[in-house]
Amino acid sequence: MSLEEPLPDTVQEQSADDLEALLGDLVIGREEHINAPGFVIRPDTVQESLRRLRDDAGFDHLSCVTAQEYEDRFESIYHLKKFDDPTQEVSVVVPADKENPVSQSADAVFRTADWHEREAYDLVGIQYEDHPDLRRILLPDTWQGHPLSMDYDQDQPQIVALREHANPLQEDHRSETDSDTMFLNIGPHHPATHGVLHVKATLEGEQIADVESDLGYLHRCEEQLCQNSTYRHQIMPYPDRWDYISAGLLNEWAYARAAEDLNDIEVPEYAQIIRTMGAELCRMAAHFLALGTFALDVYGDFTAIFMYAIRDREEVQNILEDLTGQRLMFNYFRLGGVVWDLPEPRDEFFENIRDYLDELPEHLEEYHDLVTGNEILQLRTIGTGVLPPEVAKSYGATGPVARGSGIDYDLRRDDPYGYYDELDWDVIVEDGCDNYSRLLVRMQEVEQSARIVEQCIDLLEDWPEDERNIQSNVPRTLRPDDDTEIYRAVEGAKGELGIYIRADGTDKPGRFKIRSPCFSNLQTLPEMSNGEYVPDMIAALGSLDIVLGEVDR
Amino acid sequence: MGALALQTEQLLPEQIAELLGLSGVPGEIVGGLIGAFLIANIMLTMTAIAGPWAKRKITAAFTDRIAVNRIGPFGLLIIIPDAVRLLSKELIVPEGVDRPSWDLAPIILPASALLGFAVIPMGDLGPVNIHLADPEAGLAIVFAFASIASVALVMAGYASNNKYSLMGGLRAVAQNIAYEIPLIITALSVVIFAGTLQMSEIVAAQGTALFTIAGVSIPAWYAFVNPFAFVLFLVANMAEIGRNPFDIPEAPTEIVAGYQTEYSSVYFVLFYLGEFIHIFLGGAIMAVVFLGGAAAPIPALEFIPGFVWFVIKIWAFFLFTQWCRSALPRVRIDQLIEIGWKGMLVLSFANLVLTAIIVGVII
Repeated sequence: MSLEEPLPDTVQEQSADDLEALLGDLVIGREEHINAPGFVIRPDTVQESLRRLRDDAGFDHLSCVTAQEYEDRFESIYHLKKFDDPTQEVSVVVPADKENPVSQSADAVFRTADWHEREAYDLVGIQYEDHPDLRRILLPDTWQGHPLSMDYDQDQPQIVALREHANPLQEDHRSETDSDTMFLNIGPHHPATHGVLHVKATLEGEQIADVESDLGYLHRCEEQLCQNSTYRHQIMPYPDRWDYISAGLLNEWAYARAAEDLNDIEVPEYAQIIRTMGAELCRMAAHFLALGTFALDVYGDFTAIFMYAIRDREEVQNILEDLTGQRLMFNYFRLGGVVWDLPEPRDEFFENIRDYLDELPEHLEEYHDLVTGNEILQLRTIGTGVLPPEVAKSYGATGPVARGSGIDYDLRRDDPYGYYDELDWDVIVEDGCDNYSRLLVRMQEVEQSARIVEQCIDLLEDWPEDERNIQSNVPRTLRPDDDTEIYRAVEGAKGELGIYIRADGTDKPGRFKIRSPCFSNLQTLPEMSNGEYVPDMIAALGSLDIVLGEVDR
Repeated sequence: MGALALQTEQLLPEQIAELLGLSGVPGEIVGGLIGAFLIANIMLTMTAIAGPWAKRKITAAFTDRIAVNRIGPFGLLIIIPDAVRLLSKELIVPEGVDRPSWDLAPIILPASALLGFAVIPMGDLGPVNIHLADPEAGLAIVFAFASIASVALVMAGYASNNKYSLMGGLRAVAQNIAYEIPLIITALSVVIFAGTLQMSEIVAAQGTALFTIAGVSIPAWYAFVNPFAFVLFLVANMAEIGRNPFDIPEAPTEIVAGYQTEYSSVYFVLFYLGEFIHIFLGGAIMAVVFLGGAAAPIPALEFIPGFVWFVIKIWAFFLFTQWCRSALPRVRIDQLIEIGWKGMLVLSFANLVLTAIIVGVII
């Protein structure tokens, strides 16, 4: 806990009026979002307002920054939460002028605002004053226009003059001053980036002087695709494509949770248990892959550990295939439940899962022998890629990255949904803050997920046959009221996966914003690797466990 | 190369010369060339089996996979299509490479390793003694040849005009310097025991029985006489040939492929070849210095030709490198240097001094 936060032992709980009193004359209007009070402030008081909310009210987690354009104004929404109690949420709404959308940057208060505001500038076109480095982040530098703004011309050709496409690398990078640094492109085609991430590294000998991530190679306009799809059925397939590394059901749950809360849809208890089981299986598969690729990064070759991790992931995939009929793009959740019941014969399905769970402790023991117990691996990972908790919080790091830095934050427990609060499991926290801690967190979370799955199948097995209600009654067309806004998050495999939806009275969202945990987590890379050796930067990148599909969306 | 010592057993070139009825200098030249040709081909054949087939099979066994099994028995014939595939690929020459040295590096690497085999006694195969030359300074010569490899790595890294290659080349130098000294110092402790640098003499010195337990005699191999030196030498050898956990100069996932990043087609094959021959050379040195050369482990097995034992020992070392590759993480470059200079060097000197004292006082 940082020293500048005078937080008492118990988490303060302020009413909306208390907060309004705290902000005083900074507030120029009130809004009501589902589950969060909204305060409208002037665009030049962003830092002041956020600082007061952080220091005096304990809202230390800038979860997401949403930007959107209305007929008469632009708007940035800062979704604030507390790491100690994420059920407390507040939205700071910052309208900006339609003709000249300028808003103060929150970067000075929350470091995570850096990338989030760059994204808002890139896609919507709001200018952020005082921003350290306001450039496009997802789209190419040469892109014309801001695709999510209203006057964006879809038909405008994006062919730009040759000079714009001139080789961005200068002929000779040696600077005139006597610097000994070397510029190195790591990625987008590099064995360690597992995807299309481009890391611009400045090296001093073999040590990292600075790294900068270049994103957007896998940007597929997921937000806009969702905005053009109907709530009821059309959006659900998309979440599978964010964190596509077997975490599909976790992503689907993020959308399901936001849309169900927005439309007041109840989910039957039986379906909640199936969801919980499916989600935890996905988490296990995702963590296995994280373990395997981290080993790949540190070990440097396709070693036994990678193959063992893939072997275990494969078994989970088989179970998920039995459950959903798919191996990668599950599309299994529906608003109000799941698409179909467990596969028949049910006994065999339960038997398969049980067999797998019985083998698991032995396999995990093997991993501990091979990986965490290995002295060379410990030499490589303990004390490298250090991310102190205050820094992690400021960057909005969540999931295993935050829990590896000693931040006790897990939405499954702290902001319960599904069936988690009925089950017996633990949140894993390691306070080493290094690559090794993040590895340990993931390996232990697999054990916890296995516990959850085991309890779920016990419940499902004994569930009375005539009460197996997999979906509640949901209208064929969903039209939430105009101007209702909601921000909801679930604990994805990589951390807090949030969805902001603004309804505009039609059957499609007016604004659909995805808060990707990988996006925020990846932002911590320079903090972890500056001053370290190249291999440690690679290890730190591996320990962040990013999926570019989710970073770039 | 120093005068050839007279041996009770004839060396391979002499046998060939005799067979051809030549004598004197022409006999030495012709015999030497044919002998060298034969030995180089033996090693290249072993590499051909090791690279496209054995490495795949071994790694697959370690990592729960199946690997090649369609072409030929156990997939063995994959070697032919693989060779065709590798050789028929386009040779891409990047702009700005430093031409002569860029072309020479892939030749120097396998050549340096092959040269090393000139002084290795590889045992008998029937009446034939597979041993090209037996100079008095054999051990020094083999280390000298093996070290030429680092020149090739630096040339490749520097000439490639690629930052990853450059880093790989630099790492190769740092690593070789840090590990060559402990390697040679440890080998020196054996030389103190044997009292000679000549390879055949070192092998002969290991020919006696160390002790006998229940009728089974343990040979006086230096691995048994001085296991500490054996382990030190094994570790330094792994670093010297750049295998996991010391594959720092290549280090995929860090610096892509290090010095060989820019090489393709035939040049890549040559590098690959060179690496494998280096592993075998490392194994051969291990066998000669610590494992009794071509000797059978127990007298009862002496009916199997020495050359077979020698090949088994080399392949055992190859298997060991592949085992490490499948199970061990790579150390970081600074840690590697630290282990080399602060750990290995000190231990190897301690070993040398202790051995000298023991040999001086007791024997």
